[in-house]
Amino acid sequence: MSDKKNLKDILSNKMQRRTFLKWSGAIGIPVIAGGMGTKMLVVRDEEPKSANAKDTEKIISTCSINNCGGRCVIKAHVRDGMVVRVSTDTQEGGDFSTPPLRACVRGRNYRNMLYDPDRLKYPMKRVGKRGEGKFKRISWEEAIETIASEVKRIGDQYGPESRYVNYASGQSWGLHGGKNAARKLLALTGGFLNYRNDYSSGAGNVATPYTYGTNNSGSSFDTLLHSKYIILWGQNPSEMIFSTPYREYLMKAKKNGAKIIVIDPRYTDTAIAFADEWIPILPTTDNAMMDAMGYVIVTEKLHDQAFLDKYCIGFDGDHMPKGVAKQESLKSYLLGEKDGVEKTPEWAEKICSVPAAKIREIARDYAKTKPAALIQGWAAQRQAYGEQYMRGGGQLACLTGNVGKLGGWAAGTGYWSRSDIVYPFSYENPVKASIPCFLWTQAVEKGTEMTEADGLEGIDKLTTNIKLIFNMAGNMLINQHAEINKTRKLLEDESKVEFIVVSDIFMTPSAKYADILLPGTTFFERYDIGVPWCFGDYVVFGDKTIDPLFECRDEYDVFAEVADKLGLKEKFTEGKTTLDLAKESIKRTRKELSSDFPSFEEFRRNGVHHFKYDSPLIGFKEQIDDLENHPFETPSGKIELFSKALWDMDQHDEIPAIAKYIPSWEGPQDPIIKKFPLQLISWHYKQRCHSTYDNQAWLEEAAKQEMWMNPKDAEKRGIKNGGRAQVFNERGSISIDVKVTPRITPGVVGIPQGAWYTPDKDGLDQRGSVNVLTSQRPTALAKSNPQLTNLVEVKKA
Amino acid sequence: MITMADPVHIQLQPLLVARKKYYQLIHLLFFEPSWNETFVEIRNHGNLHELEEIHEGGKILQNVFEQLTEEQVKREYEEFHRLFVGPGPLVAPPWESFYRSRRHLLFEEWTYQVREQYHQFGLQFKNENNEPDDHLLIEMEFMLSLIDFSLQETRIDRVIELISSQIHFLEEHLTIWVPYFCKRIIEHTGSQLYLGAAILLEALLRFDLTTLLEVREALNDVG
Repeated sequence: MSDKKNLKDILSNKMQRRTFLKWSGAIGIPVIAGGMGTKMLVVRDEEPKSANAKDTEKIISTCSINNCGGRCVIKAHVRDGMVVRVSTDTQEGGDFSTPPLRACVRGRNYRNMLYDPDRLKYPMKRVGKRGEGKFKRISWEEAIETIASEVKRIGDQYGPESRYVNYASGQSWGLHGGKNAARKLLALTGGFLNYRNDYSSGAGNVATPYTYGTNNSGSSFDTLLHSKYIILWGQNPSEMIFSTPYREYLMKAKKNGAKIIVIDPRYTDTAIAFADEWIPILPTTDNAMMDAMGYVIVTEKLHDQAFLDKYCIGFDGDHMPKGVAKQESLKSYLLGEKDGVEKTPEWAEKICSVPAAKIREIARDYAKTKPAALIQGWAAQRQAYGEQYMRGGGQLACLTGNVGKLGGWAAGTGYWSRSDIVYPFSYENPVKASIPCFLWTQAVEKGTEMTEADGLEGIDKLTTNIKLIFNMAGNMLINQHAEINKTRKLLEDESKVEFIVVSDIFMTPSAKYADILLPGTTFFERYDIGVPWCFGDYVVFGDKTIDPLFECRDEYDVFAEVADKLGLKEKFTEGKTTLDLAKESIKRTRKELSSDFPSFEEFRRNGVHHFKYDSPLIGFKEQIDDLENHPFETPSGKIELFSKALWDMDQHDEIPAIAKYIPSWEGPQDPIIKKFPLQLISWHYKQRCHSTYDNQAWLEEAAKQEMWMNPKDAEKRGIKNGGRAQVFNERGSISIDVKVTPRITPGVVGIPQGAWYTPDKDGLDQRGSVNVLTSQRPTALAKSNPQLTNLVEVKKA
Repeated sequence: MITMADPVHIQLQPLLVARKKYYQLIHLLFFEPSWNETFVEIRNHGNLHELEEIHEGGKILQNVFEQLTEEQVKREYEEFHRLFVGPGPLVAPPWESFYRSRRHLLFEEWTYQVREQYHQFGLQFKNENNEPDDHLLIEMEFMLSLIDFSLQETRIDRVIELISSQIHFLEEHLTIWVPYFCKRIIEHTGSQLYLGAAILLEALLRFDLTTLLEVREALNDVG
């Protein structure tokens, strides 16, 4: 500068500066005292490090326990107490005894989730009307005190059956988790109303055992390397991870020459990656195609008569249970001997829209190409008559004799499991009453009126409706349960459920309905051990990588404190922390289940343990090899294609004794299709794990929330690709962008499930939350969720 | 050793004290609203009527505090939570790394940078590793600490160093992200309090940086 300023000029000559300084110089002293009342910067004990003496990066292996079917290895790179990045399993592929457990797109996003500024950070209590979203920050002390006193008050006033821990899957595949912590607390204070079953394979879980006596009808994935023909019926492992290494086996099976058929209303990523052929089908009509395949197999004598004679009940008139007429047999049904309707491919084509010639071809290929694996996904059993679909698959596997054989597959629910660990955190609920999980809203509304016909078990009548709900890391309180508008009204009525506690990591739609809202931890912030769903020979160590952020707390610690308030802390924790639980599980697993299970230190270091086996697990091999000594776990000891137990229920139209096609309400044959002409399905999106991560921007970039619609249907309605539409039926209405694509069957629209319900001021969802449109009417037998059975109309928005 | 530095030091005192006070005032404005502890204090001692005449933000704030009621403070409390605390998506997350990282996350490299700055001066955020170090109020508190150090310092070379540290912190941190933070508030709040506070915050940081740059230049000449 040419004319150098001196200090005096700077401080006094410039008008604005002078006035500013004059003003602030006159700010009163008390402000200063008040403002500095809470010093957040304190004197540091340690010497500052020199610039190049930074903490070295530590890599800590951990694992999420959300409701994904797989478990992947997440490596947290930690420096100075912060996770600076995440990576995943670096194990090389190729050795099928130690498959790499690599994260998918969701796993790569975990650091974004951890350090998301929208994390719940402090305990809150509701201050507005329930559901309005108004909360006030409170201390942990107040939160604990309130929970303890409400648990007691409601228990005293209404009895233990008034207390309920809602189905929730945000933390579901570990040793402890919020749901279990809440249950233990309630179990120690008188008990709680139980639920049974799940929202994933609810119809199947009840139906498959009527055929096979168990849901463990699957085989280990390495058996697929011996399959020559694989049908993936409504299964989409490319987007929904059934088990982390599953796709590697499918890829290898394909390389080995297996022909792979995908049957699905959508041309899925799985169809793209694996299928030799995609068979589009109308939702709810799978059993029509199955029946027609059965018809072809039987009429062309491609069925395995010896297998059916030896292992099955009910195939033909000669193998019926006592007291049941011959024409009730499966064969008789397929041939139309009683109802006069032959279940021909032409008959089926009119219902399911798969060309008759194609049905014939697949039936023949499936029957002739042995061994063949018919593997069923669960989407098609989240239907009005989902039980039929699940038993129908098993029926085809038996007709072709593919059960109990290497490379075959028994179909049905398809669980398989041979690797387990010990779960040391346990409780015993003194209350024996239980409801099907899908009917919890009914138990809130009129629980005292529920009977055995509604699936009430363990008690004749409930003395109370549900009055208290713990909803821990779950979105079933509104978002994932069917018929959101109905659930919303129920929850908004504060006289019905009197007290709701939600713990979560984000402000989910369910969290909005909390009376007390707790900030939970992510898996980075706690100890656990993660296991896959029922399909996999691996477990993953969930190490704590950093301390909980803000005031977030692990639910185990929260309920330990609630227990403390009630004088039960010792009974609750048994003196153990979650780290102790992990150590105990490892120790006891080594001792009781698997002597070559690693030590705590070794498991922690490796991050993963693969159980090793000499031979594949083949579902029902024991029974097929030696039926006499290893009967099926059914009443007859055989495979019950015809179930006498179902027959005796005497509701043959909706609960037939053999699997049958039953025209579905809100299916293509329901007359209301005139008013709502499109079938709506949903699927598990690669952006999310159910509804978890819906608020994650990266994942939305990877896969946008949008509705799939066939060009034919879009054109009729003047809807362009990328345009916005309103989707509605009598239960509600949502707004969503549309992807116009031939990858979905005409007459069907598909919305990825799990988007967070986001009503505008008029209550219309703007995010595309499919459960605004789904129904609470349960399936006939399992009383399960029919969330893929919907008719809707779509108009340009 | 009272020689050449002495007059400079004395000349600087009013500036430093004035700066300290406005940092404190802003610190208070962005603190959790409470009727007794903060708002009455600001109203009674904040000298807002003078600020009204010299700054747009001051005008807005003077209006707010003139008509302040306990009811109003309750509404501001709700707005404070909506903007900065949650639960739920925050309108204006008050952390630096949110604005500077491409992914809008907490605990990104800027959190490290400010943490190192604190450490260099023997300071540490009380909740280090539990909450991010780059919260607006912590960064303001750090500026206040540096001002305090400057007030206690008599050696001119050290004063220059401390002024430089403040310039550095303003240039590398506060004046980079705070304008985006204020923009979010200004665009999304219906509260006159936070509108005024945001306008004032942004202006004062800019003002402070310009002042300090000129002061340093002058001190270098003196030195």
